[in-house]
Amino acid sequence: MSPSVTSCRAIQPDLVATATGDAVPGAEARVQEHVAACRECRDELDRYRSIDRIVGEIRRAPVVSDRADIARGDLEWRLAELKRRAVTARVWNSPLGPILIARSDQGVALVEYMDSARGIEASRVLRRAGIEVLEDGTETEAFYQQLLEYLSGERTRLAWPLDYRFAGSDFQREVLQATAALPYGAVVSYARLAREIGKPTATRAVAQALRRNPLPIVVPCHRVIGGTGALTGYAGDKLSLKERLLSLEGVPVVRARRDPRISRDSMYVVADHDREYCVPTCGSLSTLPLWRLTLFGSRDRAESAGLAPCTSCRPDLHPISA
Amino acid sequence: MGREPFEAVMTAHHAEIYRYLRRLTFRSAEAEDLSQETFLRAFRAYRALPPDANVRAWLFAIATNLFRNSLRAAKRRRAAYDGVRGRGREDDGDGPDGVAQFNEARVAVEAVIDVLPAKQRAAFVMRKVHELPYDEIAKSLHCSVDAARAPVFQAFRKIRHSLEDAQLPSAEGSA
Repeated sequence: MSPSVTSCRAIQPDLVATATGDAVPGAEARVQEHVAACRECRDELDRYRSIDRIVGEIRRAPVVSDRADIARGDLEWRLAELKRRAVTARVWNSPLGPILIARSDQGVALVEYMDSARGIEASRVLRRAGIEVLEDGTETEAFYQQLLEYLSGERTRLAWPLDYRFAGSDFQREVLQATAALPYGAVVSYARLAREIGKPTATRAVAQALRRNPLPIVVPCHRVIGGTGALTGYAGDKLSLKERLLSLEGVPVVRARRDPRISRDSMYVVADHDREYCVPTCGSLSTLPLWRLTLFGSRDRAESAGLAPCTSCRPDLHPISA
Repeated sequence: MGREPFEAVMTAHHAEIYRYLRRLTFRSAEAEDLSQETFLRAFRAYRALPPDANVRAWLFAIATNLFRNSLRAAKRRRAAYDGVRGRGREDDGDGPDGVAQFNEARVAVEAVIDVLPAKQRAAFVMRKVHELPYDEIAKSLHCSVDAARAPVFQAFRKIRHSLEDAQLPSAEGSA
């Protein structure tokens, strides 16, 4: 029996697959049956086997890989560069609503209140920054856990490594760093902070710098208030969050004509850089302007900040009456 | 995360991916660029990769995609120059060319591989040089497993038809 031209053509894929070790089940038997009767295809099978052997030689040929090493070296350099610039970020749920935490290899670079729990692409800051962002929570989860503890009052310090890369200017960075030093449970005014950084006339600029704080909560801009004691503003339109964070720290907030403000009369006071705190009625303290004061919601907070009770008034023995 | 660090992935697979791209491309600089781009992309996506994924096959898929994209871009560029023909493979001592001098048939086979259309070349090199299974090749080429077999078959046919029978010693003769 001589196979027809069509069947020779039809057997080709199986024949090639058989010769090159790629046959699907059944193909080899079909090929064997065909070549038993067709000499031409049998020769063809041999030729494909030869080609496959040559290809095998190509596969096994040693590769001089000095170029590969150069490519590898360049790649490692670019990868290090990418890692240096990139941040990993994730949006977490918190009692204050969805919060994005982003970190770089230097530290936490961004804490952003999000309007919804959508992914990191909803972040205005990251979108504008035009940097590489990798969505991943594994590197920020520990910070998130600490944040939850902080927001539940179990923790009073967030000792995070910080990366100020999203500070818009050296000035803003300076303001943020000064703010980061404010102790838990304390409040100061924008004017006071401006003096702290040696720019007494920059009150408004300080307020602007804090309005765009890329690290809220951990850089506690909520502890900075207006010169009248009003809370003024927070993270755009989130004044109620400022009130919440201050209340959490034991800072008394009252509502006067609907504007929340701190209750200066019920807070302990430190003037300038004194090492002692006192009741607000002590000596001339009640007449000092807010820009000279640091206020504390409780004696505990003042003492945790390393301050001693005033030796004349002894606020430790005669605390502010509730 | 129980996954191995990305550096380990690079150590395990960089040389092979580079070699794969070196065979697909005509210039070593192109293979360098594409292999770097492959691993930078892989780094970005690595965290999202399912833990049970076949990392090697996944890297081949990224490399293949980049290679085919670069080819499309090169085609557009070439159209602008029009008619420049006879692009030769650059000999930088990286390929097996030196050894191949001894084997006329092998030189001929490699010459054919070099001028295969991109998809056939990628499929053929993945299957026959890097011995990837067809289901992984199919993922790289975004096609079914059956459709992944076709370009390998076509590549063999082209090699076969470009060689004189005399260049192909019979199976018995050369064993």
